[in-house]
Amino acid sequence: MFEVFKKELLELIRDKKTLFFVLALPMLVFPVIMALVGFLGSQATLKAEQKVHTYYIVNEQHGQAYAERVFYHKSFKKYAGEETFSSVEELKQAVRSGIIDVGIFLQSDPQKELSKGKQANWQVVFNDAQSINFIYDRLRSLANEVSENLREQTLIELGIEKEKQQAILQPILISKVDTADKRENLGEKLGAFIPYLLIPLVLMGASYPAIDLGAGEKERGTLETLLLTPVTRTQLVLGKFLTVLLSSLACATVTVLSMAVWVSVAISFVKLDTVKSAFSSVTGTDFLLIFALLVPIAAIFSSLVLAISIYARTFKEAQNYMAPLSMGVFLPIVVSLMPNMELTAKTALIPVTNVALAIKEIIKGTVDYGLLTMIVIASALLATVLLAFCVRWFSKEEVLFR
Amino acid sequence: MLGLLGPNGAGKTTTLRMLSTALKPDSGQIHINGQDVVARPLVGRKSIGFLSGSTGLYGRLSAKENVEYFAKLHGLKGRALKTRCDELFEVLDMGSFLNKRAEHLSTGMKQKANIARAVVHQPDVVVLDEPTTGLDIMTTQTVINFIRELKSKGTPVIFSTHHLDEVALLCDRICVIDRGVSCFDDTLENFKVKGQSQELNQAFLNLLQGVAHV
Repeated sequence: MFEVFKKELLELIRDKKTLFFVLALPMLVFPVIMALVGFLGSQATLKAEQKVHTYYIVNEQHGQAYAERVFYHKSFKKYAGEETFSSVEELKQAVRSGIIDVGIFLQSDPQKELSKGKQANWQVVFNDAQSINFIYDRLRSLANEVSENLREQTLIELGIEKEKQQAILQPILISKVDTADKRENLGEKLGAFIPYLLIPLVLMGASYPAIDLGAGEKERGTLETLLLTPVTRTQLVLGKFLTVLLSSLACATVTVLSMAVWVSVAISFVKLDTVKSAFSSVTGTDFLLIFALLVPIAAIFSSLVLAISIYARTFKEAQNYMAPLSMGVFLPIVVSLMPNMELTAKTALIPVTNVALAIKEIIKGTVDYGLLTMIVIASALLATVLLAFCVRWFSKEEVLFR
Repeated sequence: MLGLLGPNGAGKTTTLRMLSTALKPDSGQIHINGQDVVARPLVGRKSIGFLSGSTGLYGRLSAKENVEYFAKLHGLKGRALKTRCDELFEVLDMGSFLNKRAEHLSTGMKQKANIARAVVHQPDVVVLDEPTTGLDIMTTQTVINFIRELKSKGTPVIFSTHHLDEVALLCDRICVIDRGVSCFDDTLENFKVKGQSQELNQAFLNLLQGVAHV
């Protein structure tokens, strides 16, 4: 078995594709992609922020103060054309045809409406389909300023001093005192994201070498000669399984280390004290616990993908079988993200979901070690069953010589 | 030296796979040196060397590493492994490409490495499944020389082929199978007699047609 493992490992290390998928991809490509997405995203946001929008106000007389604020805002430029518009429909048409970027319809004077005890209804006409759009927020913010001034003025006229206005408008001020510390709070959010990244990578780290070691052997014509050596099928499968398992864990470890390095680099550039203080309480033991949880899950995936690969006749056929599995692994992770989904004696028995929930608990610092042991045992048992199935699969002529 | 003949789909590969313990027969027995290899396949595998025209090598291992890997799987280690491998590398003239990765070897070089791999454990019986199919003349000659070498050493060889000139050149005995049934098992001379032709291809066809009539 050890000879098979040594040889498979040697071949794996010499395979550029495997090295790319297991080491280079998580080490470099992911941070590069993240940096690229971040850069492009910030550029798009900056562009949207700096964009100056042409506007047109209908019934400007109903809101002189507001019209003035919009006029002096750096993001808006008054329409200087000759066309005039008088209704929401006309404004819509003008936005659609690109004459203006935004139309503002002031239906009535808020001061007059207020004297009648009514609200003024103003409308902002623009194309909200763009993903990054500050038009509405900015115009609403300006309208709020006018609205607040008007309210303040009216209340003073009614004899209510400025100092008392806040208390009258909001007699009860309620605030929360959270018993959860920063780590628990942040862990609830980030802890759900980490398994989402880690678990599929564990699968990816297992898939490629498994395809090479099973279907790849069939395709290259080396399987038959291997089967004719005086090595038991169990030893052969174990040798291959250990290689796949190692690759899977290597992929996960490299990813975690790479992410840790890149997060620390990012933190050193950006001031994120909350994140810093939250993560500073995540100890080395916690990382070891996460790794300990990944071992049985990697074993489950390794057995599964090896069995699939042994069944497949060719590399391509194996890849076709792996695709739905890759999709399928997200389902139990998504279950762990559902509201109020917690690690209990029951959920500790659901494969993959249990590990995802446990990782979240570890990051939060609220892990139950009894449940953790339960997860490791349950996952190890499942991995053993799958491995036994894999050995059986590897002994079946109808599978090997399809 | 037994030549196994038969049309495509006759069951030659299945028979050889059973002999080499890759497949388990539904019934019957296979004995090598008195050992029942169906009951004890792991023991049987130590006595069998198997090679076919489509047998591959591990591309990312060198020719030397390929041969040594199979030697180790057959239980050879240390000095014994080195001596045996060096002996094969010399006999097969593999010195110039020993450390080259198998994926970069020519077909002839690959087949030499394959031969070394198949006999590195000094098997009692060598099973060859169409060992020259798809090979060029030079590589075919390497395989033929290898089989001759085995013959001269008295190692029993069973090989299937469609090339009757190879049969004439190498075989002492011929077995013809059709649809999984043995329809001839005798010497080359009797093959010509029963096939009613001195020309082997014709004799083979006559023999099969005779079977069809039966």
